[in-house]
Amino acid sequence: MLTVIVRRLLLAIPTMIALTALLFFSLTALLGSPAAMMLGQDASPEAVAAINARYGFDKPLPAQYLDWMVSAMQGEFGRSHTTQQSVASAILPCIPVTLELALLAIVLASFGAVISNTLPIGRGAGAPAVVTLNLIGITVPNFMLGISLIFVFSVWLGWLPTTGWAPWSEGIATHIAHMILPVLTLSAYYFGVFSIVYRAEYKDVEKRLFIQAARAKGLSRSRVAFRHAMPNAILPVITYMGLTMGQLTGGAVVTESVFSMPGTGRLLVSSIASHDFPVMLAIGMMIVIGVVLMNLLADIAYTFVNPQIRID
Amino acid sequence: MAMNRRRLAGLLLIALVIVCAIVADAIAPYDPMRSSVDILATPSAAHLFGTDELGRDVLSRLIHGARVSLVIGFGAALVGMLVGVPVGLMAGYFRGGVDVAAVMLIDLLVALPGLVLALVITVMIGPSLNHLAFVLGFVMWPGVARLTRGQVLAVREATFIEAARAAGGTSAWIIARHVWPNIMRVIAAQFAVSVSFAIFTSSSLSFLGLGIPPPTPDWGGMVRTGYDFLVLNPLMSLGPGAAVALTVMGFYLVGSSVE
Repeated sequence: MLTVIVRRLLLAIPTMIALTALLFFSLTALLGSPAAMMLGQDASPEAVAAINARYGFDKPLPAQYLDWMVSAMQGEFGRSHTTQQSVASAILPCIPVTLELALLAIVLASFGAVISNTLPIGRGAGAPAVVTLNLIGITVPNFMLGISLIFVFSVWLGWLPTTGWAPWSEGIATHIAHMILPVLTLSAYYFGVFSIVYRAEYKDVEKRLFIQAARAKGLSRSRVAFRHAMPNAILPVITYMGLTMGQLTGGAVVTESVFSMPGTGRLLVSSIASHDFPVMLAIGMMIVIGVVLMNLLADIAYTFVNPQIRID
Repeated sequence: MAMNRRRLAGLLLIALVIVCAIVADAIAPYDPMRSSVDILATPSAAHLFGTDELGRDVLSRLIHGARVSLVIGFGAALVGMLVGVPVGLMAGYFRGGVDVAAVMLIDLLVALPGLVLALVITVMIGPSLNHLAFVLGFVMWPGVARLTRGQVLAVREATFIEAARAAGGTSAWIIARHVWPNIMRVIAAQFAVSVSFAIFTSSSLSFLGLGIPPPTPDWGGMVRTGYDFLVLNPLMSLGPGAAVALTVMGFYLVGSSVE
């Protein structure tokens, strides 16, 4: 198993380098000259040259990429063009907000999907409800779902706070009350995807002989479902958890905007809107590296869960 | 049976949106661009969905929004297909170096977050209808190529392909005459799924204020402005939001009913 993990790790490094380089080059290429963008179209050539020299934009692209990577490793991401604040200090407070949102959403989605599609009622009488919920999760965009939830639970029923976000320091209850709707919103899509994948696999597993044997032994339906079928049907869900990480960041961007959460996604949107190149680049790089790491984690988790892979 | 019901529901939804887009001028009660002094009116007999912050009729804008969504959806899906299908066909049919290179590129690109990528590129090259369709198509092609390649791999070892090769058929002829007809159904389904993804993503971009610029009647943008007046007139945001959701659902239902 160790060799599998090491092999995956070694594969992740070139992927990461290729993706970050791709992002860096395409961003800089599309931007034209960041200096011209910062100063506007009427900038004098001297001013552009000064900015270029100051930020190192006059060097060839590969050199710029290396410079950026080297200083990034030292925790130095440059300064925001709009606020002049250091990029690291702008991004750092946003990271826990996004991580918490994303983790809770993924956990809720995977548990919800596996449990609702394993329970005998979710497979029998309740199946149409579960399938409808999957469809809604996959097709209703985050912004529509979020606003609908706000309308029902905050405006209409008045059970939950309307928008905004409360840090932990304002009390656990307040924080959780503000987190319920965003987590629900973000998890819906993944609930749908995981459900569909899991349901299909479960159907295959159900036909196998050991399930029939377990049933013949006289085990209860839920015991057969959770003890015998579920562990064998859960593998594709884990693969999909890794595969959907990229989309999760996109979903987080929209969800954070709907609920005005001070997360990385909202910072990305505002940095794009104000053409703040260093912030945009740093968040983009963070997302790319995060996605590769998550894929790696999913691969490793997969080898833990599936003993067949460990052998080779 | 259940599959057919799903496809039927999807086709009905798609038909509804297409009809709205075609006869928008005839059925919309007002000009979607004309503002009036009657701003932020709540729903009434004169304005079924109320009016927006510039006094424009929300229902009329909603009906006209179908055009924008369909143009982006079909445009982007077409771009994604035009790039993805040939790449997938080549990689799957010829294997070897072409395949290795294509798979490496696809694996690399599918890991990238589609919405974030579209967000960044669209803003860089300037948001417009055509740009959005191209960017979303560009984001989608690796997925299309991967699917096509998988389908080609599944049929290329079949006996009838071997027979066609033995009969001296050229590669182009075999692909066009024997491979393509066997994978066409799946590709068509993927086209529908791509349309739904493109509408989903472009409306999300517009909601973030980074998609189609105003005053074009666009559902995502309408939800964005309507959201500020959610308490005053929920239909102003939930109306166009429901339109996006139902359109995406229609294309998704049709696309996912083929396995």
